[in-house]
Amino acid sequence: MTDVGRHPRIKLHTLSEVVDVKGYVGNFDVRILKKARYVDEKECTACGDCAEVCPVVRPDEFNLGLSSRKAIFSPFPQAVPSAYVVNINECLGHNPSVCAKCIDACDKGCINFHMSDQEIVESVGSIVVATGLEPYDPKELDEYGYTRFENVLTSLEFERLINAGGPTKGEVLRPTDRKRPRSIGFIQCVGSRSAKKGGNYCSNVCCMNTVKGTLMLKEHYPDIDIKVFYIDIRAFGKGFEELYTRSRRLGVHYLRGLPGTVEEDPDRSLRVAVENTATGKLEIHHLDMLVLALGIKPASSTQKLQEMLGLQLTPDGFFLEAHPKLQPVDAATRGVFYAGCAEGPKDIKESVTQASAAAARAIRLMHKGEITSEPITSQVITEHCKSCGKCAEVCPYNAITVDVKKKIPAEVNAAACAGCGTCAAECPFGAIIMNHFTDPQILNQVEALLEEEPKEKILAFACNWCSYAGADFAGVSRLQYPPNVRLIRTMCSGRVDEKFIWEGFEKGAPVILVSGCHIGDCHYIDANHWTEKRIKKIHKKMEKSGIRPERLQLEWISAAEGIRFARVMERMEALRQSVTEEEIAETIEILKNRKK
Amino acid sequence: MGNVDLEHADMNFRKELARQPGGEKISACFMCRTCVASCPISAVNDRFHPLRIIRMALYGLKEQVLSSDFIWLCSSCYACQERCPQGVSITEFMTLLKNMAAKEGHMPAGIRAQLDLVKGEGRIYPIDDFDNKKRAKIDLPAVPTTCGVVKELFPE
Repeated sequence: MTDVGRHPRIKLHTLSEVVDVKGYVGNFDVRILKKARYVDEKECTACGDCAEVCPVVRPDEFNLGLSSRKAIFSPFPQAVPSAYVVNINECLGHNPSVCAKCIDACDKGCINFHMSDQEIVESVGSIVVATGLEPYDPKELDEYGYTRFENVLTSLEFERLINAGGPTKGEVLRPTDRKRPRSIGFIQCVGSRSAKKGGNYCSNVCCMNTVKGTLMLKEHYPDIDIKVFYIDIRAFGKGFEELYTRSRRLGVHYLRGLPGTVEEDPDRSLRVAVENTATGKLEIHHLDMLVLALGIKPASSTQKLQEMLGLQLTPDGFFLEAHPKLQPVDAATRGVFYAGCAEGPKDIKESVTQASAAAARAIRLMHKGEITSEPITSQVITEHCKSCGKCAEVCPYNAITVDVKKKIPAEVNAAACAGCGTCAAECPFGAIIMNHFTDPQILNQVEALLEEEPKEKILAFACNWCSYAGADFAGVSRLQYPPNVRLIRTMCSGRVDEKFIWEGFEKGAPVILVSGCHIGDCHYIDANHWTEKRIKKIHKKMEKSGIRPERLQLEWISAAEGIRFARVMERMEALRQSVTEEEIAETIEILKNRKK
Repeated sequence: MGNVDLEHADMNFRKELARQPGGEKISACFMCRTCVASCPISAVNDRFHPLRIIRMALYGLKEQVLSSDFIWLCSSCYACQERCPQGVSITEFMTLLKNMAAKEGHMPAGIRAQLDLVKGEGRIYPIDDFDNKKRAKIDLPAVPTTCGVVKELFPE
């Protein structure tokens, strides 16, 4: 942290909040609100004379309220920059002069109450989102009595107690009587793996944090009695199982079963009722102190930042990476990367790994000073655009700007466009050209493929990343499937325009298949949602005009599902055989009449 | 506890339960034992064990679960349901089991007696002339000693 503060090429904005982000990869404009510190950052030597005279005493946030600080303070000894800060809401104020004792105490005259919040705009090329986490608030888990019993602590409070730099200098003391506890219990999965309270995911770090806590306790006080109540101990990392074994060898009692109730004895120690899985008996444990191993929740700023940067979230509320295996640190928006718990619960080592990867990914993108991007982008024919805003609505990358009210035509930001083609498929006025996958190109393919014996053919649209690759896989795996399938490749199933389907049926296609990546696996964030919606709409239209809706099928086939591809094609062939020549002729007639 | 006899297990029992209100989420149970540790009945009577009942139901031991008397021990305090991290509606599941047991004709004599009493008298604790005399003493109006209208609610 101090290295970052000292680095000549890193600009660190503390006490700052990102208000707005505009632009795209290579050209982001970030508006930052830098709050007033009321202390000259460069002059202050953090001598602490000001804090000594400050009369305002407040709970210290860094020590989770286990100690106190003043209204002018340094959050913790290693804080960067090494300068004090005034919490102006707590300060008694100097105008009219109420206190101003700190100003008198400061020899260097660093304190200045006339500072005001500043707005800064920084131009940056890429952004790493490392907004961290928030611990779970255990107040709602009433059975553990966190709000009722003083000797029930959270794992963070315990961490401050056992930390040598903490308020007790590393001496573990009971909050009620300031005496060393003879026995300590840990409850795992507080706010984790719960469908109702907290998150239903595993928070990843709490098991090993507890194991570390038990080892430190045993090191400090070998005779202390430690019990850990858990559902599963997840010691999966390098060297973790060894730590767990060591903890058990030192006599820490690991007891499978989550407590149901915690009550307080008259001497303020705690009575924990738990059923021990090993014995199958309900046991009552008397403990001097209880520690709740808190789970990890996404930071509260996540949603705001998500809207600002146009990012996606997982159902848990963490940021969603572009691909879980192949692009684990990239956001779907080009030029944005993730590091640490913003992307999901993880420990320090993993966070450092991810942060290093994010930095390297950003450098790889930025070092040339220019980036190359695919020519497959969409383009608006301004004269045809009616500024309806549909394209901007469906674009997964927010690459299209259009002002519906002022009727300013749509404009595509080529650097932000990834080329899925959903906008072109959705545009009701044919005002968008999808380069390399234009309407005439695809319509000509449809025509060519159905030129001879159309009733023998299966027309299939396949997306480049999943279904087309799935077909490839079926081929290289030497799988047998009907040879009368005719594939048309699009970048995304979202490109498949309604008019391609009608054209297909009008040219005599018995059946048409639209295929793409599974929902949630779309390579263009969520463009295939629009495919699904569109197909539903077409099905309804088909039903209305008297065409059997089954003749248009939608299937999700991934690149690894060669077998599935072959099965789907067999099904399509069976379906094709069910379509009679009369039916095809009737459909062609219906569609021709519709055009008239 | 003896060996679990899965020979006569009814594998469709869990599906049958999942279709009914209260039984939808029982297979989400990951045996953390919060329910047992929360249960005021388990604390005093180790024959009642919510987790064991759920596991028996999931194993398909239909006959054993429905004919047992332990399902009737639940006091419906909802402590387990409130605390279950997996969102299993344990108390409602117990009600479901009781209803199923009653339909199959398994009902402890005490419960049966209560049921008959309600059916016949409309009350579990019948009111007689003695109660009305006591009420009269403190100027309370008399209440009817029979409640025959209840019979209309339970057509045979």
